[in-house]
Amino acid sequence: MPVIKKLVKTAIDFVDVRLGIRDILADNLTKYLLPRNVNIWYTLGAVLMTLFGLQFATGILLLIYYVPNPSEAFGSVQAIMNEVPFGWLIRYLHAVGSNVIVIALLLHMLSVLFMGAYKRPRELTWLSGFLLFNLALGLCLTGYLLPWSQLSFWATTVATDAAGAIPVIGDEIVRFLRGGAMVGDSTLGRFFALHVMGLPLILALLIGFHLFCVRRVGISKPPFGPDYQPQPPSQVFRHQEHPGGIPFFPNYFVKDLAVISFFLALLAGVVFFAPNLFIPPSAYEPADPFVTPPHIKPEWYFLWAYQTLKIFPSEFLGLAVQGAFMTFLALLPFLDRGPERRPARRPLFVTCYILGILVFLAISIWGHYS
Amino acid sequence: MDNNPISPSQRRGFLITILAGLGTAVTAVTLWPMWRFLAPRKGPGALERVAVARASVDLGAAHFFNFRGAPAVLLQPSPGNFAAFSAVCPHLGCIIKWQQDKGEFLCPCHAGRFSADGKVLGGPPPKPLESIPVALEGDQIMVG
Ligand code: FES
Repeated sequence: MPVIKKLVKTAIDFVDVRLGIRDILADNLTKYLLPRNVNIWYTLGAVLMTLFGLQFATGILLLIYYVPNPSEAFGSVQAIMNEVPFGWLIRYLHAVGSNVIVIALLLHMLSVLFMGAYKRPRELTWLSGFLLFNLALGLCLTGYLLPWSQLSFWATTVATDAAGAIPVIGDEIVRFLRGGAMVGDSTLGRFFALHVMGLPLILALLIGFHLFCVRRVGISKPPFGPDYQPQPPSQVFRHQEHPGGIPFFPNYFVKDLAVISFFLALLAGVVFFAPNLFIPPSAYEPADPFVTPPHIKPEWYFLWAYQTLKIFPSEFLGLAVQGAFMTFLALLPFLDRGPERRPARRPLFVTCYILGILVFLAISIWGHYS
Repeated sequence: MDNNPISPSQRRGFLITILAGLGTAVTAVTLWPMWRFLAPRKGPGALERVAVARASVDLGAAHFFNFRGAPAVLLQPSPGNFAAFSAVCPHLGCIIKWQQDKGEFLCPCHAGRFSADGKVLGGPPPKPLESIPVALEGDQIMVG
């Protein structure tokens, strides 16, 4: 042990002399104070970073054996599952992990909404987070096609087809998305490029920006407890300090680790005991452009969109409603400008919030059984 | 208890030991599947024999084929006689060529020369070509 200790110290000394790393570490770990009443919902960012890291690592591993070519894609995924040692583990971690990420993203957004943390001066944090959410869904969508199964093929056909409801240019957009009239070779090519390079690159940059915002503005104080007071909006930039708060490291870091472990346990639980929870049987048949399997349905997190398209009399109307809702969500901090963040004092917001969740659940369940 | 208090440094040492143990276990559990996932796949069994159609090896000509993952060459020096060698030059690993007119192998990299039975005739190669046993089975030549 003393040897290791000495080695670590020597290494840190080396970097410290050159980059002043000890100051940076202290500023961001032990001297980085969080509000005393910071709660468990604030760990979701760290959870998401871990999960994205896991997707990144497993994704690179899968790339070693995956062949992005319609005639070999399905077979290469089968080989990963059945022949490559631990290939099943890597692939299930990647496929199930994407679902866990969507769950964590939704929880992260819901907690930020509930605590009003998106409000001024954190509009840019919210906006970049919202874009990250959409990018993650884009990664899910593009990744779904790659195994080239019946499920992949038809889910992508349905998803790209939805864009056809846009008047005038709709058909052209569908062709553009697919790279042709039908989902086929060229669709696989562009989805593959987006999934492994394009979207992850933007995602990484955006995560960097999001973290920068969080760190630069300072963590928002949870709007609970007797000493909470809404802050009047400031006209100049001000980093929100929390004097007398708890240090990020080790105090809050341990909580981060605990919740990360919980999510990893959840992921491992599904991977080992119910890997098919999110993977319907049509994922095990190779794509056949001439046979549409019955009951083609998108993943659970797209069910709401799928069902709204069916509820409205015209697809265009459904698409417009979805677009309007997403735009509203993106611009929420610019529309909701009051400084009050305590849920108990925002009855209208909380009512809409709860109703929104219920409507989302109801439409998704309806979509699942329809 | 009061007579035997646990000092903060003992407590810290204990925690660090536990954490180091856990960390090692987690690392091992992570690295082992990754190592196995990345390790090169065993091709056809290392002892597997390769069948080559007899008709593909002309008298005096050479037939190159894949033997256990590396290039090899079959010769028919005299009618009905076959010999097989690894086509990898024992000098620095280039692939040798058959020169039918001269009846010898030439390594293009550093001009190593080998006779039709694999012996070094000139150039830098330190040892003869590795020979591979062959057996005739009907119209197939079984190599290995
Ligand atoms: S590698 Fe063949 S002569 Fe050098």
